[in-house]
Amino acid sequence: MADRKPPEDALSNLRRRVDAARGEGETQNAPPPQSPATLALRFGGEFGAAVIVGALLGYGADYFLHSQPWGLIIGMGLGFAAGVVNVVRVAQSYSRANPVDPKAPSIPDDEED
Amino acid sequence: MSNDPIHQFHIAPLVELPAIAGYDTSFTNASLFMVAGVGAAALFFNWAMKPAALVPGRSQVVAEGAYNFIHGMVKDAAGEEGVKKFFPFVFTLFLFIFMANMLGMFPYFFTTTSQIVVTAAMAMMVFLTVIVVGLVKNGAKFFKLFVPSGVPWPLYFIVTPIEIISFFSRPLSHAVRLWANILAGHILLKVFASFVPMLLAAGGWFSALSILPLAMTVGLYGLEFLVAFLQAYVFAILTCIYLNDALHPGH
Repeated sequence: MADRKPPEDALSNLRRRVDAARGEGETQNAPPPQSPATLALRFGGEFGAAVIVGALLGYGADYFLHSQPWGLIIGMGLGFAAGVVNVVRVAQSYSRANPVDPKAPSIPDDEED
Repeated sequence: MSNDPIHQFHIAPLVELPAIAGYDTSFTNASLFMVAGVGAAALFFNWAMKPAALVPGRSQVVAEGAYNFIHGMVKDAAGEEGVKKFFPFVFTLFLFIFMANMLGMFPYFFTTTSQIVVTAAMAMMVFLTVIVVGLVKNGAKFFKLFVPSGVPWPLYFIVTPIEIISFFSRPLSHAVRLWANILAGHILLKVFASFVPMLLAAGGWFSALSILPLAMTVGLYGLEFLVAFLQAYVFAILTCIYLNDALHPGH
């Protein structure tokens, strides 16, 4: 409190120390690490949700068009496809967020080519 | 009953209120903890930001850190325009889920996010916001979401229904992810914790073994704190990604 420096000096000094402690360039918004269970639940949820929604939409179409069971069958098939699309999208965004280390040892290839 | 792992999710009315149009409107323990979560967040932010100092104190750093964290997240996922339009919405959702999850970590407390009604209501809120904002802002261009560019035209017969199903599956997976994580975590905790008194009651050598589930419960508790934060974060960031689709549907 006995600091006689003008406040701008004290502030810029503090700013410098905060930056040094934080490490420049490092983003404050690094996403927290995801636990494998969370990731697994995410994949499963995306896939299952699409199947359920596809089946429900197909069932709804059946209900209005009286076309049992074709709507349910087609809807479920499309639901599976949409589920795969969802899972691929999640996986793509995950690999974009966590790029593979280029120095990581490659998996040995047993195929003869 | 004390060993029933599902009992913690039992909803009991605290204040009986008359039914309105056939719906029970009683004030339940779930309502109490929702109000408590909202109240705790509001009180904390009011109290922490009261000094509004240029050089923040400890509590102000926490409050500003939370604000900056979500602000940066919305900016990264939805751009400046997203921040202007949706930041209060996303920040409110994040704080509500975070407070509900954290309050639920207290023994004997009720976890509101373990009820799918609560998570589904929030997911539907986001979903309807995306549709309304997308249609108002982009008009017919919003439907480009279902017709991705760069696809040979015969494939649209397959791709469009798949995209539509994928779009409608969002609120479901959005709601189920938060709900299932919290529900599974709390059941797991309760199951392992209930092994301790069971083994103690068995007597003899089994009493000595009760240290094992106790250690497991402590470890799981730490993990659950991570999950409580992570699920609030994941819910908020998915909200941002979906809202970004409403603003820029063309991919």
